[in-house]
Amino acid sequence: MRYFEARGLTVDYDRVTAIKDISIGFDEGQIVALIGANGAGKTTTLRAITALSRLKAGEIWFEGEQIDRHAPAALVERGIAMVPEGRRVFPHMSIRDNLLMGAYTRKDKAGVARDLERILARFPRLEERFRQSAGTLSGGEQEMLVVGRALMAKPRLLLLDEPSLGLAPMVVRDIANLIVEINRDEGVSVILVEQNSRMALRISQYAYVLETGRIGLEGASADLLHNDHVKALYLGG
Amino acid sequence: MEQILVNGTILAANYALIALGITLIFSIMNVLNFAHGQMFMLGGLIVYYVCVVLHLPYALALIAAVVIVGLIGMLFEDVFFQRVMRISNREENTMLLAVGTSLLLENAALSLFGEKQRAIPPIVSGVYRIGNAFLPASRALVLVLSLVLIAAVLVFVNYTKTGRAMRALAQDRTATLLMGVDAKRISTLGFGLGAALAGVAGGLLISISGVNAGIGTAISTKAFIMIMIGGAGVISGSLLGAVVLGFAEAIGYALIPGSVTYLLIFVALIVFLLFRPQGIMGKPAA
Repeated sequence: MRYFEARGLTVDYDRVTAIKDISIGFDEGQIVALIGANGAGKTTTLRAITALSRLKAGEIWFEGEQIDRHAPAALVERGIAMVPEGRRVFPHMSIRDNLLMGAYTRKDKAGVARDLERILARFPRLEERFRQSAGTLSGGEQEMLVVGRALMAKPRLLLLDEPSLGLAPMVVRDIANLIVEINRDEGVSVILVEQNSRMALRISQYAYVLETGRIGLEGASADLLHNDHVKALYLGG
Repeated sequence: MEQILVNGTILAANYALIALGITLIFSIMNVLNFAHGQMFMLGGLIVYYVCVVLHLPYALALIAAVVIVGLIGMLFEDVFFQRVMRISNREENTMLLAVGTSLLLENAALSLFGEKQRAIPPIVSGVYRIGNAFLPASRALVLVLSLVLIAAVLVFVNYTKTGRAMRALAQDRTATLLMGVDAKRISTLGFGLGAALAGVAGGLLISISGVNAGIGTAISTKAFIMIMIGGAGVISGSLLGAVVLGFAEAIGYALIPGSVTYLLIFVALIVFLLFRPQGIMGKPAA
């Protein structure tokens, strides 16, 4: 069994199948990308893993333990954090309170204080605005905040849903670098859902291409970057 | 003039407890608690029962009101609201449920305590004089207790982990779940806290103006006025709404007959809402 393994995930929304028979597996420390068109089921797959959507069929294993019966809160304690699409900071809360919300399940106060320092050192922009409402931040800063918030939970697996959505190309590059750094420095495995397929394939080791709720294609990211089908459909020719 | 200021301050502080409670419930659960006035009424009648019928000290009566009404709130949330919110996503269902719980509480109070206006003897004796105004010591005590409770709630919501989770839940439910928050537990606690605040407000006000089993709807209406003035779901707005209503009432009662006062307040509210439907501190609807 691999570090993370999802087998045959199937989710229905109002009796319409959203994803069917999705299987994903990877080893510790990898970045894995899920790419595909709008509505292909990328977000639903993440929501199924974090128990926000109910599985109709399938099972999920993480670090040798079956986790598909856990509630969302229990998964955070098990080391899985998700950054949802659209960033979703708590807009009327300070940067500080947003980050502390990330550490909600942790009991080690000293460790939380240490991680807060560490994350602020990584994101100096957030430190400058520590007491401001998160709603006043720019899109790129909000993305940094939600990644920092997720890291406050001390995850071993980080799920990122469309982190580049709505960001300027310069900022997308920063975010891509950030994901690589976190993966390298913190030893966090990453499942990355992206519309920006080129970015996702560049920074991941392995990728799955979702097509109308199923896995249409999978392989090493470097190979998919040069695959004619992927090029034509997802990399703009 | 000074007397109006004193009366307005006492009313505003008491109303702030009511408005804070209904705001907590509204922002966390997105439920407009139509039973808020009945919870207030129940708090008052519990204090009456413990003080007058059981002859126990006022402090104990107030604690009983907080605990019992708080538990009723938690029970309602856990047994009624959570279920209705799970099986239905139409907002009017929770509203109708809230109206139902208000009728339940009102009729329970009628059969337990009767319909008579109930009051309690003064908690402490003595009168302070501030300029030309008189402030009975028991009213001063009510004012101080209200202010302390308001401060305690604000500290809890702003500076504790559970309070932070309540604010987070009010802003983004999905993101809050992803932080590992047990949303059910926080909702139950929030509803309980909101109800307890209504109960303690009733338990305090009974020492000033008395309470009867039928007072609930009028109090709920006042609570709605306050959050409409201040902005629904905003804590600072609820406090502001309480100050505006408390002083409007104190000024009105001093200068014009009581029933005309509320007529004028309603007319002013309607005109105000035409220009600022989201309230003073509320965010405009997107």
